[in-house]
Amino acid sequence: MGAPFSFLRLGLVAQNTLREAVRQRLLHLFVGLALALVLGARGLRDFNFGAPELKFIADCGFGAMTLFGSALTIAATAQLFFSEIENRTALTLLAKPVWRAEFLLGKLVGVALLTALFCALLTGLLAAVLWVREGELMALDPEGFRGGRAVSYAMVALGGWLQWLRLVVLAAFTLLVASFARTQVFAVVCGFGVLVICHLQHLAQEAYTRAGSGVGVALGGLVGGMFPNFQVLSLADSLAAADLPALGTWVRLTAYGLGWALVAGLLAVLSFRRREI
Amino acid sequence: MKSRLGLAVVVCAGLALAGQVLAPLVAEPWRQRREREPALRLEPGVAAAGQGVTLALLGGFRALVADAAWIQMYARWERRDLAGTEAFARLVTTVDPRPVYFWLNAARILAYDFPAWRIEAAGGYDAVPAAAQRAVNEAQAAAALELLGAARRRHPDSVDLWVEEANIHLNRRGDPLGAAVAYREAWARPRAPYYVARLRAEVLRRAGRRAEALAWLREIHPALPAGDPGAGAELVLQRIRELEAELGVPAGEAYRPTR
Amino acid sequence: MAPALETRGLVKDFPVGLRGVKLRAVDHLDLTVPAGMIYGLLGPNGSGKSTTIKALLGLVAPSAGECRIFGQPSGEVGARREVGYLPEAPYFYRHLTGRELVGFYGRMCGLGRRELAGRVETVVAQVGMTAAADRAVETYSKGMLQRIGLAQALVHDPRLLILDEPTAGVDPVGSAAMADLIRSLRDAGKTVLLTSHLLGQMEALCDRVAILDRGRLVAEGTVAELAGGAGRHCLEVDRLDEPQLAELRAWLAARGRGLHGVTAAGRGLDAVFLERVGRGQVEGREP
Repeated sequence: MGAPFSFLRLGLVAQNTLREAVRQRLLHLFVGLALALVLGARGLRDFNFGAPELKFIADCGFGAMTLFGSALTIAATAQLFFSEIENRTALTLLAKPVWRAEFLLGKLVGVALLTALFCALLTGLLAAVLWVREGELMALDPEGFRGGRAVSYAMVALGGWLQWLRLVVLAAFTLLVASFARTQVFAVVCGFGVLVICHLQHLAQEAYTRAGSGVGVALGGLVGGMFPNFQVLSLADSLAAADLPALGTWVRLTAYGLGWALVAGLLAVLSFRRREI
Repeated sequence: MKSRLGLAVVVCAGLALAGQVLAPLVAEPWRQRREREPALRLEPGVAAAGQGVTLALLGGFRALVADAAWIQMYARWERRDLAGTEAFARLVTTVDPRPVYFWLNAARILAYDFPAWRIEAAGGYDAVPAAAQRAVNEAQAAAALELLGAARRRHPDSVDLWVEEANIHLNRRGDPLGAAVAYREAWARPRAPYYVARLRAEVLRRAGRRAEALAWLREIHPALPAGDPGAGAELVLQRIRELEAELGVPAGEAYRPTR
Repeated sequence: MAPALETRGLVKDFPVGLRGVKLRAVDHLDLTVPAGMIYGLLGPNGSGKSTTIKALLGLVAPSAGECRIFGQPSGEVGARREVGYLPEAPYFYRHLTGRELVGFYGRMCGLGRRELAGRVETVVAQVGMTAAADRAVETYSKGMLQRIGLAQALVHDPRLLILDEPTAGVDPVGSAAMADLIRSLRDAGKTVLLTSHLLGQMEALCDRVAILDRGRLVAEGTVAELAGGAGRHCLEVDRLDEPQLAELRAWLAARGRGLHGVTAAGRGLDAVFLERVGRGQVEGREP
């Protein structure tokens, strides 16, 4: 008598993971720091040295999302996974008629929900800060805003969405490492390593095509081909509506991000199947 | 051990396969993005590895980091530390190449401040031979022009960068013809101010190229809106008449405004 | 009827270091646990009890041999539908209440919402945790954790219960209540596999026991089969004075029997404790 794979059980694990995560002080710390930076960007505008102020505020906001979001994602993924192993709650759960895949993918979905909340909160706050400041600037300089509001809030939302996609991919890769790692520290360190590699992946790809030595070709190809390109999952330097990507591009970027997350998640399941609890 | 190795092989193969399958999804958006941002391309002359890595790692925070580095650059500028000032100035434009402000001021420091510091360090304007001073000015101007060239790859439509280049040709190299070329490029950029067109004519005139100056003014005058004091249509027409008089242009060939 | 549990030639090796050296935790174990009884698994630390249980639950993969639960390979997800497991020193999600915890595990076992509510209340009452069920698990004492742990193991009404040290760290009142509960589960037709270091309790509870040492089965059978054969009787009589003892000794000697020991037997500390502290403390009033 077999038990078919159940998305309900996966969802229950995800829900439980999220519930556990939102109680953690680490999350509160990162969210607090990120919120402070977004709000504080207004105070830093005197140092923008001529860069458009609204772009500067947006830069700070998305920078906070990247920095604190990445740290939160890596730490939370590793901690939420290893706490189950070390506290042996995984023992009790996996002794039930539960697939290991349901457990692991449930963890991933739980972290994805956590990062979605984080990105939604910060994107909303950033949009509010931009809206208020843009209104103030429009009152101060009506001539400069003859065409109406300059910031495209659809672009801001897209920026938040792309940020979330990156964090989900990062969580999946961290979980992949955690599935075979012996210690939480190792998983965290590798998670940060993946973050750096994925940001530099595009340089590795180019180096691969240009390298003269066999080692260079191999290394560049390896890094370039095995990791996603996080640079493509970020906004270019514009918040103007005219630069809003077409719907087809949104869909492709989403498919790219979720595709990588799914692949890394499934490979994590494959690895976790062999793990002895 | 064998099963661990086998798992590692499968994981690597899976990731590589995913890379091959998923990359085409974003090939076009990535191509467009790279065209817009030179820092994402690993090519010579862009300080690409530095810019690319920095952009990659700092993301939105590069604005803050660049600002902090700019302030540190000024700390070294106050001490007349050539190497430190240049290093930080180039670092800033590498970290955050987006503000034109950084490029402009870095070029000005290279072209104007550095020659003065070097000459004073060598004994002062009275002690250093004129030829040596010219060589220093020329070398620093070349460095500034090279920086402005790099800036234009990032800001191809910037009027300010061409105007700055013109100023350096004129004031540091004593090359009005070089300035004239730069003013023409500035005028060709979107939303260029009217004065750059007038300045081109003026430097051509000073360089003795009065015929070229006249041809230029005749070319631009029709585009200048009447009634806009900033456009200076009346002033340009006056200059045309002066040049026609200097060049002895027959009345029949004199410029006739279209309105 | 298929045995509740069966292992055939079960071997489990763990790699030690990087040179291919292995530690054999379970060594060709053949074990059969018939259904409907309390079966004790005994052995010193490191004898392979926990590893055997993990292999039965599919938490570790056997290096060789096989394990079956009611005839199904134990590695299959469906086989675990028949098993309720209480780990040693259980640790549960601290942010959940007892009721939520049991409900969570019930849903993970496939219970529908309608059925779940009833089962949760039933098992929570069965383990005597009704009063504390709406408190967060992080506020529970050790004994309460054991009881709510048993509730989560029972929620889906499994045919087999595997209880790893269920009374470890629990006071005598709680321990006695747990023992009563285990007996009631056996009487209801369930099979209970029990491990414990408390040999007296195991002797009183278990129908059959297996003793492991260094991964091997060294003894198996009923308690009487394993512990009996000394060919002696223990009698309990009213208190005797010295002349009466001497008379008894002489009577036995005349029939060729020896009197090997005389001990003044009281009620025992357990009995005094239970009487004074009271079984009423079991129902959720533990600190």
